[in-house]
Amino acid sequence: MKTSRTLGLVMIAPAAVMIVLFFLMPVVLTAVFSMTNMTTATGISGGVYQIAPNSLITLKSAMPEIAAEMAEPRYTIDEAGLKAVEGLGLAPAIAAELRAKHAGEIFATRREVERMIKDLAERPSTREVKHISEQFNRSVLNTRFDSKEQLFSSLDGLGFKLTPEQKETVAKTTYTGWTWTTDNFSRMASSPDMARVLFNTVLYVALVLMLFNVGYALLLAIWTHYMPPTPASIFRGIWLLPRITPVVIYVMLWKWLAWDSGFISILMGKFGYPPKNYLLDTAYNAWFFVVLINGFIGASMGMLVFSSAMKAIPKSQFYASEVDGASRWQQIRYIILPQMRWPILFVTCYQTLSLLASFNEILLATNGGPGNATEVWALSAYHTALRNYAGNLEYGLGAAMALVLVVIGVVLSLLYLRVFNYGTLVAKPLIED
Amino acid sequence: MAERSQPSANYRGWPVLTALTIVSLPLLLMYVYLFLDTVTVKPPDALLPSGLTLNHWRFLWQTTAGKANIWHVTLNTLLFSACTTSLVLLVSSMAGYVLSRLNVPARGFFLAGVMVLHAFPSVTLIIAIFIVLQMIGLYNSLIGVILVKAAIDLPLGIWLMKGFYDTVPWEIEMAGVVDGASRFRVWRSLVLPQVKPGIMALGLFSFLSGWGEFILPQVLAPGNQVQVLSVYLAGFLADDNNYDFNMFKAVGLFYLIPVLIVYALFNKYLMNIYGGGSKG
Repeated sequence: MKTSRTLGLVMIAPAAVMIVLFFLMPVVLTAVFSMTNMTTATGISGGVYQIAPNSLITLKSAMPEIAAEMAEPRYTIDEAGLKAVEGLGLAPAIAAELRAKHAGEIFATRREVERMIKDLAERPSTREVKHISEQFNRSVLNTRFDSKEQLFSSLDGLGFKLTPEQKETVAKTTYTGWTWTTDNFSRMASSPDMARVLFNTVLYVALVLMLFNVGYALLLAIWTHYMPPTPASIFRGIWLLPRITPVVIYVMLWKWLAWDSGFISILMGKFGYPPKNYLLDTAYNAWFFVVLINGFIGASMGMLVFSSAMKAIPKSQFYASEVDGASRWQQIRYIILPQMRWPILFVTCYQTLSLLASFNEILLATNGGPGNATEVWALSAYHTALRNYAGNLEYGLGAAMALVLVVIGVVLSLLYLRVFNYGTLVAKPLIED
Repeated sequence: MAERSQPSANYRGWPVLTALTIVSLPLLLMYVYLFLDTVTVKPPDALLPSGLTLNHWRFLWQTTAGKANIWHVTLNTLLFSACTTSLVLLVSSMAGYVLSRLNVPARGFFLAGVMVLHAFPSVTLIIAIFIVLQMIGLYNSLIGVILVKAAIDLPLGIWLMKGFYDTVPWEIEMAGVVDGASRFRVWRSLVLPQVKPGIMALGLFSFLSGWGEFILPQVLAPGNQVQVLSVYLAGFLADDNNYDFNMFKAVGLFYLIPVLIVYALFNKYLMNIYGGGSKG
């Protein structure tokens, strides 16, 4: 009887499907996209080949004569043109003679083709000549070709003498879609802006983690630990508010506090200071508030973890220490802190990852400003790929930046798995059917 | 003097109380003024309000030009949170049971995978998800955002539900199996009622996190038709033309009240998630 196995597979299927679709696939795709030069301009589906004015400018430096020729229209006596001439309702002899004597000929300029048409036995009038020549106008400029082959055959048909290498160059410069490239990574490694962003990120994670997520959380936990239950739970409730408040409102409240018409400005105004935007006037202030805004949210998790860990410490240890005359500080130092080692490690690990990837609060509060003083890695990736003022969103570069975070995230979470040894949690089922 | 339940006997409480009150002051100020400012008028340079008004709440009965209708947006938010919650509950209550109780191949591997994903910062995948949704045509639709949001909350949900199932005694299932019920029937009618607190906690958490979610809707469904309250409010804040902070606060409070009600009623359920589960 393997019913439990099939049932198990059926019941876990939806979760497995969702995890594959929305975690594993995006991880792989982030890596894939990071190896492309996708932008808004190239689009995300395939592109076409189009000899546009800007690609001609690029071509000019590589092969000036050919680029100049491409910019001009060409006249080819081909089947399609002949059919069109027949349809013009002129004397049928014109088309017949063109077909017989000139089929396949190519003329570089309008003047040459019109001279040839004038010399036909029928002697078409000047207006007719213009009409006829128009039928054979075959410019490559701004025509869309769906494939390389179409582009090449069209170039050949128009009489451009190109070597295979030159053809490849033309194809490369005229392609409008995205291509595979490793430029994103070299750009990331060499750009001074990126170095600045990296520094910001390290500073931000270190500050918020040490000051708030661990330090201040520990302080809150110890304080509420030494309090009667009622005020303790009230204060824990207050400090949980930032976590449950939707982030947009929460940041709005901070803005209200720190803006030029905000609470701090009015309060300082009472002491004669002119109002100013305390959130964005200097980089230091912006950093101060960014750390505070994120720290107030982050403190609550540590507070709860440490509080429940402290509840687990046997009361007798505290009583015994007090009988021995231990001070408050000695209790904290010799009883509480040594037993907080694992919770502190857990919170540190967990929050490092969260902070590395969190950019909601900074996005809403300072948007990386002033300048890019508070631009952190995750926010920078977001700006690059999804929201920037230039309007050309660089999906490829953004994905490469995100990939750095994804790799760090995967490595660290695997490491934590080893450290905290979750293998012990996988017990065998007791009913085997 | 503290009573017996205290960990300490020779110790005065007021210095700590004072210190905590001082550090909590910014938070208290913010939230008190959030309520005050929505129903009062205040001269620009005063600290205290000088009169009552309901004018800041006018967005409830008139729509600002160029903005979506608040009720439509609220309905979207409700739909988004409710669908996300039901999806997360359904999928993780099944998967959690399998990981806790049933013998499926690669169970340990799946469990480790869920654990890794639980710590893994999923918001880094948003760029890839954005491109994928554009490719499959679910960009700017509620369904797309709901699926993504539910998937992101899933590792936490599976992990939490597994923990709750682990505490259910095996004897219950054994009795059910001996009486001839199928394993599915045992799960449906014997085990599920035992993990009600877990379902409650996960449901509340998922609802609150969906209600407050900002970056996913902002990136994946920014259109006026599918806007949710967080995007709506962020749009208000970014709009310099009709700048009325007290009205923003009223919108914010309107958005916050359901959260506060849920939190006040059910905070004991939520505590065990915020203590180790959620990201931030």
